[in-house]
Amino acid sequence: MMIHMKNIRKEFKTPVVREGRFSGLRTLFSREYITKEAVRGISFEIDRGEFVGYIGPNGAGKSTTIKMLSGILHPTSGEVSIGGLNPHVDRRKVVKGLGVVFGQRSQLWWDLPVKDSYDILAKMYSVDDIDKRRRLGQLSELLDLQAFWDTPVRKLSLGQRMRSDLAAAMLHDPEILFLDEPTIGLDVNAKRSIREFLARLNQEFGKTILLTTHDMDDIEQLCSRVMVINHGAVTYDGSIPSLRETIGLPTLITVTYRGTFQVPAASDLAQLPISIISAEGSTIKVTANRREINTLEVMKKLGEWGELDDIEMKDPDFEEIIHKVY
Amino acid sequence: MNHKAWISLYGLLIRTSIRSRMQYKFNFILASFLAALIQISEFLMVAIVLHKFGAIQGWSMYEIGYLFAVMILSKTLYRTLADEVHHLEKYLVTGDLDQLLTRPMPVLLALMPQNFRIMLGEVLQGGFLLIWSLGGMMAAGQTGWEAIPQSLYIIVTGSIILFSIGLATATLGFWTTRISELQNITEDAAGTAVRYPLTLYPKWMSTLLLTLLPVGFVNYVPSLYILRGELGPWVFAAAAAAAGISLALSLRFWKYGITKYQSAGS
Repeated sequence: MMIHMKNIRKEFKTPVVREGRFSGLRTLFSREYITKEAVRGISFEIDRGEFVGYIGPNGAGKSTTIKMLSGILHPTSGEVSIGGLNPHVDRRKVVKGLGVVFGQRSQLWWDLPVKDSYDILAKMYSVDDIDKRRRLGQLSELLDLQAFWDTPVRKLSLGQRMRSDLAAAMLHDPEILFLDEPTIGLDVNAKRSIREFLARLNQEFGKTILLTTHDMDDIEQLCSRVMVINHGAVTYDGSIPSLRETIGLPTLITVTYRGTFQVPAASDLAQLPISIISAEGSTIKVTANRREINTLEVMKKLGEWGELDDIEMKDPDFEEIIHKVY
Repeated sequence: MNHKAWISLYGLLIRTSIRSRMQYKFNFILASFLAALIQISEFLMVAIVLHKFGAIQGWSMYEIGYLFAVMILSKTLYRTLADEVHHLEKYLVTGDLDQLLTRPMPVLLALMPQNFRIMLGEVLQGGFLLIWSLGGMMAAGQTGWEAIPQSLYIIVTGSIILFSIGLATATLGFWTTRISELQNITEDAAGTAVRYPLTLYPKWMSTLLLTLLPVGFVNYVPSLYILRGELGPWVFAAAAAAAGISLALSLRFWKYGITKYQSAGS
C-alpha cells in the first residue's frame, strides 16, 4: 500500500483573539480556545498507480488532508504512512519521494527565471546534472516550457506558471503526486494541456496521483477513483460509474412521436417509474431512473403510447451528481 | 546529505535570495542606505549619552561603548544569517511555511536564507564602536591585544544566544500566530537593556537577563573579565555554555512547535 490513512482526525485550536492594548500578549496567555474539527476520522488506502480524485465543497477538509499526507500538518490523532514511512517522523525522507503542487501557491522563486528554480530544486533534492538535464528535456517537451524558460516567474501567465510548477514537482522523479487544485483559474487550453500531462504521468510512468479539484471534468477525464469528503468525513469512495449509480439521478428522455400519442391515465402512470416533465405537440419529455427501470423497458413503455420517431437520452451531468453528494 | 552539502545548499539559497532582491536594485540600495542612516542616528544618540554621563556606575565611556558594540555585532551576525526567523510571523499568517515543509531539508535551514540581508550600516557602526572602545582601552593599558580575539569569540557565542532567543520567541507563534509584541520584549527590549551594565537594574531584572533571557552572557558577563579582569577566564566557557544550552533548548522547542503548525486556509 502506497498511501495509508487510518482514523485521522485534525483539530484546529485558535486562541480567542483579545482586543485592545497588548492584544498579542494577552492572547498568548489566554486559556480560551476555539476548537474546530477540520477532519474527523478519515481512513483510506491508495495503491501504487492509482489516480484518485478527492472532491468536496470548500472547507470540507481536502487541503487539510493533503497537508497531513505531505507532512505539513500533524494530525491530532490517527495513523498516516506513505510508502511505509510516517511523514511526520521521517518528513525529509518522505518528501523526497513526493511531488506536491498547491495551485494557489507557487514553489518557484518568484523573481528569478524559471530555469533557475530548477537548478536550485535539483540541488535541494540531490538530482545530479545528467538526470536533471534528461528530465527537464522530457518535461519541457511534455509541458512546452521552452517558450518561457528565461522569463521570471512573476511574469508568467497562470497557465505557464502552473506548468512550470508541475515540472518543478516532477524534477526529482517522485512516485507520488499530491495536487491541490492544479487547474484552478485556468482557461480551457491550459486545463487541457495539464490534464494530458497528468494522464501520461499516470498511464505511461505509473505515478500515483491524488488530486483535489472543483472542476468535475478533471475528475471525469482523469480519475479512476473518486473520494468525496464533506464536513471532514469521507462520504463516498469508489469509481465514477458506481458513484453515478449510487446517487441515481434520473435520465432525461425526449421522445418525438409520429403523429399523435396517448399518455396513459394518471392512475396508471403513477404505477410506472416514469414521470412526465412536459408535453408539447408531438414531443414529450420524461425522466426515468435507470436504477428502477432499464432502458429497454422504458423504450417499450414509450412505444406503447404512440409511434416513435426519435428518442434522445441524456445522462445526468457529473456536476449535478456531485451537487447531490455534497 | 552531509554537512558540507548542507552548507553549500545554504550558500546557494543565500545567493538566490540576493539575486532575487537585486531584481529591484533601486529598492535594495535605498533600503540599505536608509538602514545605515537609522543606525548612524542611533549611534549619535549613544554618543550623546556617553559624552554627557561619561561613566555609568563605575563603567567608563569606553566600556559602555564596548558593551554596545558587542551587542550590535552579535545581533548583526544573527540577523544576517537568519533574518527570517525573526519574521516567522509572516510565514505563519500566510501559510507560506507549507512550501518550506515540503522541502527535503531541515525547515530552519530552508527558512533562514529566504531573505538574506546585507547589514552594512550595522557592521560599520558596530565595527567603529568596537575599534574606538578597544583602542581607547588599549592605549590606556586597560586591555591588551588578546582582547581582540576574545571579543570576536564572544560576538559569535553572543549571536548564538540571540538567535536562540529569537527562535524560541518565534516558535511561540505556532500557538499565537502573532509574535511581534512578544519580540519587542524578548529581542528588542532585552537587547537594549544589556547595552548598559547589568548592575544598573533591579535584582529581579538582572537575574532575568542572565537566566530566562540570557542576553547578559552576550556582552556583560564576558566583558567583566575581558575589560576588568573580574571573575576569570571561565567566562568564555560560561558564554559558550549559555549559547549551547539556549540553542539546544530552543531547537527542541522549535521541533515541538512545528508539530502545532496550523497553516492557513486556501
